[in-house]
Amino acid sequence: MKGLSIQNIESGYADKIVINGLSLDVEGKETLIIMGPSGSGKSTLLLTILGIIPPGKGRIFLNDRDITNTSIEEHCIGYLPQDYGLFTHLNVMENVSYGLRIRGIPKNEREKKSIEMLKLVELENYKEKRIKELSGGEKQRVGLARALAIEPCLLLLDEPLSNIDQVTKSDIAKQLKELFNKIHIPVILVTHNHEDAIFLAGRIAILIDGKIEQIGNIGEIMRYPKTPFIKKLLTPFVFE
Amino acid sequence: MRSKNLIIILYILSILLLFFSISTFLYQYIAALGSLKKVLPAFGNSRILSALWLSLLSAFVTTFLAIIFGIPLAYILATREFKGKTLFEAFAIDVPQTFPPVAEGVIFLLMLGPDSPFHVNIAFTFASLVIAKFFISCPFVVSFTVRRFREIRNSGINLTARSLGANRFQVFTTIYLPLSLKDIAAGVSLCWSRAMGELGGSLVFAGVIPFKTEIIPTFIGEQVKTFTIEVLAATILATTASTLALVSFKYFTTSGD
Repeated sequence: MKGLSIQNIESGYADKIVINGLSLDVEGKETLIIMGPSGSGKSTLLLTILGIIPPGKGRIFLNDRDITNTSIEEHCIGYLPQDYGLFTHLNVMENVSYGLRIRGIPKNEREKKSIEMLKLVELENYKEKRIKELSGGEKQRVGLARALAIEPCLLLLDEPLSNIDQVTKSDIAKQLKELFNKIHIPVILVTHNHEDAIFLAGRIAILIDGKIEQIGNIGEIMRYPKTPFIKKLLTPFVFE
Repeated sequence: MRSKNLIIILYILSILLLFFSISTFLYQYIAALGSLKKVLPAFGNSRILSALWLSLLSAFVTTFLAIIFGIPLAYILATREFKGKTLFEAFAIDVPQTFPPVAEGVIFLLMLGPDSPFHVNIAFTFASLVIAKFFISCPFVVSFTVRRFREIRNSGINLTARSLGANRFQVFTTIYLPLSLKDIAAGVSLCWSRAMGELGGSLVFAGVIPFKTEIIPTFIGEQVKTFTIEVLAATILATTASTLALVSFKYFTTSGD
């Protein structure tokens, strides 16, 4: 299967199992939003896919390759953490080309690829800028350009709109959606905020206590929530 | 009105403390000015120059070893979890800093002296000078570096780097080290400064052999009984070298902020 296939995984920490028997498929160039309350296991799931937390049980396949027990640097998964994880000792260009430099790609090739990525996120004039000179939205785009420069098979985003102010959130969400349409890989992003999920729209998986309770498009789930808790999660301000 | 008076008292207390520190540092130069004709030739005293050279050389070797051993230890302490880590860290960082230096010298003398159970006798040599200084000074490099490495690890950017394809060693060289340079420099400055001023351990383990193991602090310790002008010259050399190290420490830790 082209894309990500998670089969019955169990994952967590030494003293606690957080993800319990979870299965999930994300195909082609689909964008899947994983939404759940704090402590539901969203970040644990992301870190398990990424290879930071090895699953106790189950298998993870990426483009039919079993990546369950391979090390994180072999996964080729683009990852954008909540705070964007930019390297403050490097400028924008050096950040974007970091993964290419690590792979030993010659300087002229990695510069060409990095400029291409910066054009993709509309920051081609920012290559010499220091990280501290960037706004929150610009930092996010640099993080995305860096994650995409390694030509990943999958893109993971952790709470991509949580550090964006309310005024620019819809613009950033629109830019993100446009970007997802341009790249032809599956995207998984996690959020605890129902507004962010609505902004980003797409297929949504509701994660509660380490299990997927409901999966479908946002409209469907809002109209037909499987449980009162899901209804409350998606419409927290509706008076009963 | 009452709060204004309290603020004035705070200012007076601060100024008194500043005056105490600065006047102590400056008084050696003032004292030297009073007998400049005698002090200046003392700077050229071959025994003082030898003690200064041995002080500088042993402090540099100590600092070099502290970097070579201290940074890997800091990396392990900051990035690995293992049983007894807290205790291990206390022995690596806290215990040497609070250990009575003379007692440290006695232990080294018993362990690596003429009666060594390991049949290794390096007492009263340059190596013993370095070992005595290393024990006391290396924790500065470890403690400053481990604190910064922990901050980096907690920020999670090490994992971001790994997701981009970097292996652990590449993360160490391209993320941990460059992002910690200021803190390592601060630790190194203090390590060198501490190594320059170390007395107790060196006195017991390396002894005071002129032109062989005599360093500025042990020279002062020996000569102070008769208080010659050479003591003042050696004091000026030792404190000026230490102060220069601390100024560099301040420069590295505050520049670019």
